[in-house]
Amino acid sequence: MNGRTMIPLLGIRLALLGLLWLILTGGSLDGVLLGLVTVPAACWLSLRLLPPAQIRPLRVLALVPWFLWRSLIGGIDVARRAFDPRLPIDPSWVRVPVALPPGGRVALGAELSLMPGTLVAGSDGTALLVHMLDRGQEVEQAVQAEAARIATLIETDR
Amino acid sequence: MGDVFSVILTSAALLFYVAGTVGLIRFPDTHSRLHALTKADNLGLGLLILGLMAQADGWVTLGKLLLTWVLALIAAGAAAQLVARTALGDRR
Repeated sequence: MNGRTMIPLLGIRLALLGLLWLILTGGSLDGVLLGLVTVPAACWLSLRLLPPAQIRPLRVLALVPWFLWRSLIGGIDVARRAFDPRLPIDPSWVRVPVALPPGGRVALGAELSLMPGTLVAGSDGTALLVHMLDRGQEVEQAVQAEAARIATLIETDR
Repeated sequence: MGDVFSVILTSAALLFYVAGTVGLIRFPDTHSRLHALTKADNLGLGLLILGLMAQADGWVTLGKLLLTWVLALIAAGAAAQLVARTALGDRR
C-alpha cells in the first residue's frame, strides 16, 4: 500500500464512519464534539481490524440495483414454493469451482444465499458447495456469472 | 400518499415473513429451510424498511432505517453460510 492510495482510502473511511456517527447521534452538537474523538479512533480500529483491500467502491455501488432486483426475485421465488400446496422443490447439491480470493468467495457466498435458488455451505478447496432448492434451475451458470461480477470489484493490477 | 405507500409495503412485508415461516415448517431439510428463512425474511425486512421510510420525520431516521437494513443483510448473508456449513458437518 503506497501513499497515493492510502490518503483517499483514509478519507473514505473517515467520511463513512463520520456519517455513521452523525446518524447514530442525530447530529446534535454534543455528539459532534464527542465524534471528533470517536470517529478517528474508530477509523484507526477499522484499519487495524480490516486492512485496506483493493476494492472499487464505485463498482460496488453500481452492483446494488442488480443485487436488490435479484434478492426480490429470490424472495418471491421461495415464497411461491413455500405457499404452493404441491411444494415444488427438489433440493440438490452442486460443486462450482470459483477463481476468487478467500474474501471474495465469502462475499459471493453471502450474495448467493440471498439470490434465487442458491445457498452456499462453505467451500471445498477452491470450489463452492452450493445447495439448490430445485435441481431444475440453472445454478452453475448463475454462480459463475455472479463470481465474474464479484471479480470486477477487486483490483487485479498488482 | 405516504400512508398508502407504507400500508402497501408493510403488508407485503408481512406476507413474506409469513412465507419464510411457512417454508421453515414445510420444507423437508435444514438447507431448504435456510433458503426460506434468509431469502423471504430478507425481502420482508427490505419492504418493511421501505414502508417505514415513508413515515420518517427526517434524515436521521432515514439513515437509521437504512443502516438497520444494511447490517441485517450482512448478518443474514454471513449467518446463512455459517448455519449451512455447520448443518453439513452434522449430516456427515
